[in-house]
Amino acid sequence: MNIWLTMLGMAFVTYSVRVLPLVAVRVKPGPGFEQVLRYVPPAVFAALIVPEFIIPQGKFEFSPAFFAGIIGVTVAWRTQNMALTILAGISSFAVLRLFM
Amino acid sequence: MTIPPTGDSSSRPRPAALNAATATENLNPDPPTETSPDNVKPRSEFIQGVIGSLPLWLGIIPFGLAYSLAAKTAGLNPFEIQGMSLLVYAGAAQLIASGLFASGAPGLSIILVTLIVNLRHILFGTSLLTALAHLKWWQKVLLAYGLTDEAYAVSVRKLTQKQAGPAFLVGAIVSLYLCWQASTFLGLLLGGVIPDPTTLGLQLVFPLSFSVMLMPYLKLGPGQAAALAAGALAIAAKLLLGGNWYILIGAAGGTIVGFLVEKKSKL
Repeated sequence: MNIWLTMLGMAFVTYSVRVLPLVAVRVKPGPGFEQVLRYVPPAVFAALIVPEFIIPQGKFEFSPAFFAGIIGVTVAWRTQNMALTILAGISSFAVLRLFM
Repeated sequence: MTIPPTGDSSSRPRPAALNAATATENLNPDPPTETSPDNVKPRSEFIQGVIGSLPLWLGIIPFGLAYSLAAKTAGLNPFEIQGMSLLVYAGAAQLIASGLFASGAPGLSIILVTLIVNLRHILFGTSLLTALAHLKWWQKVLLAYGLTDEAYAVSVRKLTQKQAGPAFLVGAIVSLYLCWQASTFLGLLLGGVIPDPTTLGLQLVFPLSFSVMLMPYLKLGPGQAAALAAGALAIAAKLLLGGNWYILIGAAGGTIVGFLVEKKSKL
């Protein structure tokens, strides 16, 4: 298949999953569904975070990412400060990589 | 012409009670801005959204460079490389697709993999339904184009807690979209002289910044359960199934667990 045609297909499926929930549902979600939706953010964040630190290469190992993750998440928990957390995680990764 | 002593309300001195209310409001670090004209609030929210998204640039720039390089290695020309960023606008899917283009995979399977990788985005629009309910349909249609992990992550708490309106999300989307296009383009200019971002640990910028955004949701038991279940499910799914389903499986499973724990704690 032509590269541009493939890319248009990729754009179509990507846009579809982003737009469908917003335009397909005409009524506001009821209180029951609303209650479920409240747990989407913590679940999405955890599903994006945890594999990156624990099995970045698809299998578990005590990697620099693992320890940098522990340090970064601890700083995030204690400070809730974005700059400090990124700084702590990235710099500990850099230092750990020298020794591991 | 002289102003009569009982003129319109705006020229009247503020009653003492109102002044007292303002004094207590000053103790609040984030006072409501009801007195400002209507057009100022969305504009400042837009700017707040831009500012809120800036830390993620640190992760997007090396990611965009890496994609550019991967797509070039796969044999795509500069127009196709920038075109994919402009049209598809989904970092992880673009990087994976580049690998598939390189291996000569058929177009339909590349489209299918893209769908699987991005299927999690269905949760983003759903979770913002109420916060965006009052928008016109064309506004939703435009906004949905930029509803990436990063834009959602930066905005979801602000919007669902009604600390900011959709303008905040639009600010984040514009900033992140421009950054992705610029870093793709920068990758084209730099060619092959790009250092591997994973040696610098810059791939960790996303999970690190998402950790900060996760913390406010962990104050109560059900939120903790949702996160714990999502993390465990994502790990299990990635180890057992491989492929790219694990984020959706973890996120959907964790959402349900959070809800069930909340229901159970209320019984």
